[in-house]
Formats: sequence, structure tokens, C-alpha cells
Amino acid sequence: MNVGQILRSALLTLRSQKLRTALTLFGMVWGTASVVFLMSWGLGLERMIDEGFNKIGNNVVHIWAGKIGEDFTPALDRRELWFSRDDVEAVRRGVKSADIVLPESRGWYSATYGETMLSRDVRGVEPAHMIVRNTRIAAGRMISADDVRSRRRVAVLGSKTRHELMGAGARLGAKIRVMGTPHRVIGFLEPVGTQLTRDADEIDDQIWVPLTTLLGQRESPIENEEVIDIIVLRAKSREVFEQLKREVRPILSRRLGVSPDDEEAYILVSPIESLQNMPIGRMRGMLFVLAVTTLGIGGIGILNMMLDSVQERRQEIGIRLAVGARRRDVVAQFFMETLVITSVGGVLGLVFGLVFCLFLAGLQVPDVIPLPIVKPWIIWLALSVMGIVGVLSGIIPAWRAAGVEPSVTLRAE
Amino acid sequence: MGAAAAVTTPVVELDRISKIYASGRVHVEALRGVDLRIERGDLLAILGPSGSGKTTLMEILGCLLQPTSGVYRFNGEPIHTIKPDGLARLRGEEIGFVFQSFNLLPRLTAVENVELPLSYRKVGRRERRRRALEALERVRLGERTRHLPSEMSGGERQRVAIARALINTPSFILADEPTGNLDTRTGGEIMALLHELNADGTTVVLVTHDLAIGDQAKKRLYICDGEVQDGAQENRGDS
Ligand SMILES: Nc1ncnc2c1ncn2[C@@H]1O[C@H](COP(=O)(O)OP(=O)(O)OP(=O)(O)O)[C@@H](O)[C@H]1O
Ligand SMILES: [Mg+2]
Repeated sequence: MNVGQILRSALLTLRSQKLRTALTLFGMVWGTASVVFLMSWGLGLERMIDEGFNKIGNNVVHIWAGKIGEDFTPALDRRELWFSRDDVEAVRRGVKSADIVLPESRGWYSATYGETMLSRDVRGVEPAHMIVRNTRIAAGRMISADDVRSRRRVAVLGSKTRHELMGAGARLGAKIRVMGTPHRVIGFLEPVGTQLTRDADEIDDQIWVPLTTLLGQRESPIENEEVIDIIVLRAKSREVFEQLKREVRPILSRRLGVSPDDEEAYILVSPIESLQNMPIGRMRGMLFVLAVTTLGIGGIGILNMMLDSVQERRQEIGIRLAVGARRRDVVAQFFMETLVITSVGGVLGLVFGLVFCLFLAGLQVPDVIPLPIVKPWIIWLALSVMGIVGVLSGIIPAWRAAGVEPSVTLRAE
Repeated sequence: MGAAAAVTTPVVELDRISKIYASGRVHVEALRGVDLRIERGDLLAILGPSGSGKTTLMEILGCLLQPTSGVYRFNGEPIHTIKPDGLARLRGEEIGFVFQSFNLLPRLTAVENVELPLSYRKVGRRERRRRALEALERVRLGERTRHLPSEMSGGERQRVAIARALINTPSFILADEPTGNLDTRTGGEIMALLHELNADGTTVVLVTHDLAIGDQAKKRLYICDGEVQDGAQENRGDS
């Protein structure tokens, strides 16, 4: 038989066995669609985690001042600790696994523009915060070293603050009141979006002013001192976080006069840590298992269907062999049948999977739900795995059935 | 004369053929040391009670079943030395087999069933159809070509099965009870057809319960409990 004939007879058989064809097709469609979807979604999840990580900042580490821990002093003596500029300077000099070390002070203060008054998270920053926070300027410019030196009353607004405070009238050079005094708006930050961990900063809601400006205007918690609320560092890589902790402890403990073992005196926190605690590996593993299971179930379904089909059609195989079919003629016939089913099912499954991905992408889901990312290799993988499973499950039982003597096949009813 | 006999190889030579069915617990000796020679142009009738091994013997002759022991030479060639593809070619081109239970493909029409052997040879679609219709005419089924087996009577199915066996113009036709489901008239027509083919040089072996039909054959073979009865392969008119 030539290919055209085999194809014609395959279509004939498939048409005459509608239910079986439909079920096998369904298994194929389901398998392919779910694999495409699961893999794309897994990829989306991974990207979301990566991006969330970058939104918080490039390997940013915060050091918060605390109180002397209970184990180290009587309760009455548990004084509040704070950092000075010299402490920051000492850390900058002494720590090797961080390439940027910055002072930052902050507070919730009122911000007014026209009739609008909001309470905002105001940060006193230095130019390098841009780098550590991994943000970009949408318009205007960032606070400069000169601004810091001259204690200029200038402000850079996060994207939400910009809209909520200034609305349509947002423009550079406008004057807003921060902490009761007028500040010139010199820049707007690009929107950052939801940040992955809550201990991170919601940059979109913030107002940035020069650190010196903030320190000069706020009432200092310690009289006649410039209090730095947190030290912001950028670790050279995610891997050196533990080492960074070990480098910081002796320096700060000595400067603050606390025991190096006192974990409450100041706290080092980093999304690196929360990221390390997040079950990304487990999630990825789960998705992988899910994809493999789906493939397995789809494959077994098809295999079962084809085994059944071949079993039911042993009589037919016997007859064909008896009238002169070679083993490979029989196999070719079954191959063609499964090929038709797997290609139609595979393409349909692909379409369904992609449509579902697109559908999800079009939905207004909260940013914490990852969107599927479809890559060509996912399509190839799903198609080839399902194709191989489908075709093999058609060929192997047919090959076996056609290897038996025709008489035996014919008599076994 | 002797020299002439030596050059003519018999179509079939069975040498101590036995067949044991060993399926699970049961162990059936269906054939016990059968010797048989079938010459070119023979018309042999095999007779014997039910379960005596007639079908088993036919299937071995038709290369559908391998004997447990013994040697079967087809046209002088031991068939156990022929590769699977070679056997498929023999079944498709040299041998026409009419099964006791017809063995038609239920989803194909009469004419498609008859065409089936040709689809495994290089024969065009038109030519296949033409030859299949011709074969159906020969078994007087020219009117029933588009029916499915389930839409035909036992006798009609039997004739479709015969037409399928004829389609490749085989040199060796094996028919397992070809008249079993037919009335005397149609049965007579089928026998006339087999005689006609035989007259054209085709070697024919048929199984029958009908002694009258057996009497029309050139030779008869009696088989009982898997053994050929003494002096059973008699020639017509020899007695
Ligand atoms: N696959 C098998 N497994 C076990 N025993 C079998 C098998 N096929 C046939 N037999 C046995 O072998 C013997 C011969 O069977 P066979 O079909 O050749 O008989 P038969 O002469 O054709 O009978 P009938 O006239 O009823 O068609 C019987 O006893 C039968 O039960
Ligand atoms: Mg029988």
C-alpha cells in the first residue's frame, strides 16, 4: 500500500470508530494543552520571583538599630540604639562583601500640593539609592550629591505619590510642601509595582528628599545628633549574605558598645534571606511533577486506548496477514492512524493551551499571580513528547500483534 | 517417464508433520505425523469428523501456522527456512485461502473485502476495483458488492470469502468447507467454479463433510484424530 492508501484507510477506520477516536483525541488534546500551560506558567512563576527580587533592589541589605537585648542588660537599662554617620562610615570601610553602604533616615510626614494633603513615607536618601533600590527616573533627575551637600529642598516622587498628590497637574519644578516646608519637585520615579516581600519598601508610595534635608528638618530623637535610621548596603552577590553578616557584627558591636552576640541590638534583614526561605525549589519541583504526571496520564490513556484498539482488532490483523500483508504493512497502518490522531490532537491541544495562556494574560489578575510565558521550546517539548508517546503506543502493540502466526491471531477471539 | 516425474516437484510435500496445541493446561495433539504429497493440478478433498484436525492441516498448508515438528515443502522449498516477508508474499500471491468462518473485515463492503489482498501488491485502485467486481461476478454476487458482511447471508459471505481467495489468481487454493453454508444449488455452483479453476491448472484442496462433494474430487484424504487413515489417500476411480 502506498501512503495515500494507508492514509485513506486510516481515516476510514478512525471515522468508523468514532467514540474511540474521540476519547484518544481528547487524551491527546488534554495532555498537550496541560503540558503547554503548566510549563508556561512555571516559567512565568520563575520570572515573577526573579523580577520581584530585582524590584526590592539589587541584593539589598538593611541594618536596623534596635535595643540592647534582654539577656545582656537589666530591663531598666534596655536603651534604644541608633546609628551615626560615623557608624555608617565605619561599616563602609570595614565590610568587603558589600560594594555600596548608605545611610538612610525616614518617617511618615505630611505632603501637600494645592488642596491635596497626604501622609507619605518620606525617605532621606543619597544619590546611590537609585542603584541600590534598582529604580529608574521617569522624568527629571535624581537627587544629586550637590543637593545633599547643600541641603536643598528638593523631592523625587514615587509614581503613586505623583498621581495621588499631583494628579493631572504633575510637573517638574512644581512646589510641594513636605514636612511643612516647600520642596521643588525635581524628578519622578518609574512605577515599580508590587514588591514581592512585605519587608521591602513600597517605592511607588514614597517621597525621596536629600538625607541632609530630612535630618535638618525633623526633630531628632536624640538631641543634637544626626540619627541615621537604617544602613542600606548592597551585597556583592546573593551568596555573600552570610559572610556580610559576619563582617558587620564586630564593627557595629564595638562602635555601639554592645555584645557581638546580642542579636537584638541591631538587625540585618534582606530579601535575600526571605527569598532563600521561599519554597521556589519546591514550587518548581511541584510544577515539574505535575507536568510529568499530566504527560504520564495522557500517555497512559493513549497507550491504553491503542492497546485496546489493537486487542480488539487482532482479528483484523490476522486477516490482513492471511491475505498477504507483511508485518510492516500492519504497523504502517496503525502508525498512520495514530499519526493522524496525535497530529490533530497535538495541534488542537497546542491551540487550547495557548489560548488559555493568552486568556490568563488578558485577565486583570493581581501581580502576585504569575502570568504564563510561552517559549518555543515548550511547544516543541509538549508536541514531541506527546507525539512520541502517541505514535509509539500505536506502533508497539501493532508490531507485537503482527508478529504472531495469523492462525493463532485469528483463532483467539 | 521416470525422469519426467522427477523434474515435476509436487506443490506440497508434508513429511511427518505434527501439531501440538499447548495453551496453558490443555495439550492437544491435533496432527500426528502426517505425510502428504499434493501434485500440481490436483483436486484433493479432505474428509474427517469434527475436531479431527482438518482445519489445522489446512492452516499449515496455507502457511498460516507452523507445524510443531516435521517438514513442509512448498514447491520444493522448506517453509521453515522462508523469512516472514517471504511467507507474506506466498500467502498473498501463491495461495488463496477460504476460511471456514469466512473472516471478512466487518467494516469493509463486499467489494472492499475482495480487494484487500491486492492492496498489498502494486495494483492500481481502478484495476483493483475491476478485478474485485469480476471475482464477485464469478461467485454470482454481482448484485451485492456494496453490502457490509453483517448485511449478507452466510452463503453470501462465504462467496465473498471465495472471491477474495480468487482475486490474486493463486496457483494453490485452500477452501475450508466452502459449501458448508450453501444450499445444494449454490454449493454445486461453487464446486463447479472450483473445478473450473482446477481445470485451468490451479491446485485445489478442500475440506468437506459432504461425501457427494468428496466423490467429485480427484483425490480424497481421510483424517481421524490427527492421523491420516490407512490407504486413505485414494485416487478417484482407482478402486
Ligand atoms: N488454539 C487451539 N488450542 C488448543 N486446541 C486447539 C486449538 N485449535 C484447535 N484445537 C484442537 O485441535 C483439534 C483439531 O482442531 P481443528 O480445528 O483442526 O478440527 P477440524 O477437523 O477442523 O474440526 P471441524 O470439522 O469441527 O472444523 C480439536 O480437538 C481442537 O479442539
Ligand atoms: Mg475445521
